[in-house]
Amino acid sequence: MIRFENVTKVYDQKARPALDSINLEIDRGEFAFLVGASGSGKSTFLRLVLKEDRASSGAVYVAGQNVANISSWRVPRLRRGIGVVFQDFRLLPQKTVFANVAFAMQVIGKSRSVIRDTVPEVLKTVGLEGKENRLPHELSGGEQQRVAIARAVVNRPGILLADEPTGNLDPTTSMGIMGVLDKINQNGTTVVMATHDDDIVNEMRKRVVELRNGVIIRDEAKALYTSMIPIVGQSRRLRDASGREPEPAAVPAAGTGADARAAGEGQL
Amino acid sequence: MRLQFVLAEIGSGLRRNLSMVVSVILVTFVSLTFVGAAGMLQLQINQMKGYWYDKVQVAIFLCSDGSTAAGCATGPATPEQQDNLGKLLESPAVAQYVNDFQFESKDDAYKHFKEQFSNSPIVDSVTPDQLPASFRINMKDPEKYQIISETFSSQAGVETVIDQRQLLERLFSVMNAASLVAVSVAGVMIVCAILLIATTIRLSAFSRRRETGIMRLVGASKVVIQLPFILEGVIAAVIGAALASATLWAVAHFFLGGYLSQQYPDTAFISAAQTLILAPALIGLGVLLAGVSSLLTLRRYLRV
Ligand SMILES: Nc1ncnc2c1ncn2[C@@H]1O[C@H](COP(=O)(O)OP(=O)(O)O)[C@@H](O)[C@H]1O
Ligand SMILES: [Mg+2]
Repeated sequence: MIRFENVTKVYDQKARPALDSINLEIDRGEFAFLVGASGSGKSTFLRLVLKEDRASSGAVYVAGQNVANISSWRVPRLRRGIGVVFQDFRLLPQKTVFANVAFAMQVIGKSRSVIRDTVPEVLKTVGLEGKENRLPHELSGGEQQRVAIARAVVNRPGILLADEPTGNLDPTTSMGIMGVLDKINQNGTTVVMATHDDDIVNEMRKRVVELRNGVIIRDEAKALYTSMIPIVGQSRRLRDASGREPEPAAVPAAGTGADARAAGEGQL
Repeated sequence: MRLQFVLAEIGSGLRRNLSMVVSVILVTFVSLTFVGAAGMLQLQINQMKGYWYDKVQVAIFLCSDGSTAAGCATGPATPEQQDNLGKLLESPAVAQYVNDFQFESKDDAYKHFKEQFSNSPIVDSVTPDQLPASFRINMKDPEKYQIISETFSSQAGVETVIDQRQLLERLFSVMNAASLVAVSVAGVMIVCAILLIATTIRLSAFSRRRETGIMRLVGASKVVIQLPFILEGVIAAVIGAALASATLWAVAHFFLGGYLSQQYPDTAFISAAQTLILAPALIGLGVLLAGVSSLLTLRRYLRV
């Protein structure tokens, strides 16, 4: 569903690349965590999937299509197939819950009757029945994030990207959000979630891709936030685009996980 | 649904940016009024050309008491000289260019003068003796004025030969200069209008960046995202153009049609209805201004 082939992203010629020769494939229906400290390149990865930015080199494929070959007037179509949620919710403060979700359908020309049928259904999926007419400031943070998720999936995208969706939420609320994301994943949507919340990752036991300084240093199925397997040195790639399981590493990289966790406390 | 959405967005944008929208309306109003004024002057020139060109004459003024011209050294024109001039006008060499001619005596001239300046005190101080007698010639082709001038200027008893058309041309060149000034002022104002529209749209895009950001993310098309901003500018500019058209109409109706045509009943002024043909041009220009400046602005500030 998402495939990165040797992707490098350089924002600033003088700085190190934000992403450095990334090879990664995420299959349809998968749930993958993208973990790593602040500045490790998680958001950049997601932006490249959305074609918000162009890769400096290499190719990004979304649903089999190289996004570099999508002309600018067809980019909206790419984005209709991808839902996005952020740490800061990004709701429209003067619109009700219903109107916020309906907005995503209105702007792509869905008819009023379709909107009237679909929005309540999606709000029920995210657990917001009965709150259609509230304004965002009348909701808790967790509820606001549920609205944002509802808006992201109301047009039934094949992919849901979540950039630290629980970054502003307390642990209990965060687990609720994870429940919603899991449910959406169960319905067949590919979910990629960037986070540095270790409790969540440990709880979910999903695939974990760990980035450090723009390089993938770990890619593990049903994994924990910190690696259970010793990690190879940063200079070696753990897997190529086709491989799934990381190679068993010879050299244990002590403290890697702790470093990541410590750095992860910082805000973006 | 999409159309409804775009319309709702335009409405909220216009309300949110009301003071900027009002200034766009005023600037386009003023600049297009100047453009329209230039247009009106041109219409007026054409009107006067059409009205006067078949009425204007070449006048051969005969020497009178006060004449100082070289041909008048012998004093006022004698009846003999006058006869000679009449014969010359009828001779085949000259007659081929002449449609017809009349002789205007000093008394006729005095009568016309009194009519023309009826409400001016100057009439009382003028006597028939002071006004020259003249031949009034209607040319077949007004462009051939030079031939008459060359033939008659050197004749005895002729003070001067005047082409009324040239007097008109002088008036027209003044009017042309005035319309040029109007166009230059309009040019400066149009630059102001373009910059102001660009600023307005930028502010508008900034104040709605939340909405447009979400629209981008959920895959709204460029048209849906940008059209409200473009139409906002276009609507303001069209209102300005409509005001400019109304102003020009009012000037033609009340000033030209009312005041000036009372003052100068002989002059053919353009009618108020004629100024309305300028309206579509002004509105088109307004749309173009707003469209171009918003396209340029959005390309920079509202990437999709
Ligand atoms: N728009 C940008 N311009 C310049 N540098 C950027 C930009 N976005 C991100 N970066 C840099 O790229 C690196 C990766 O950033 P990011 O992808 O945001 O990391 P993360 O989301 O993991 O915190 C950082 O060093 C950051 O400073
Ligand atoms: Mg980030």
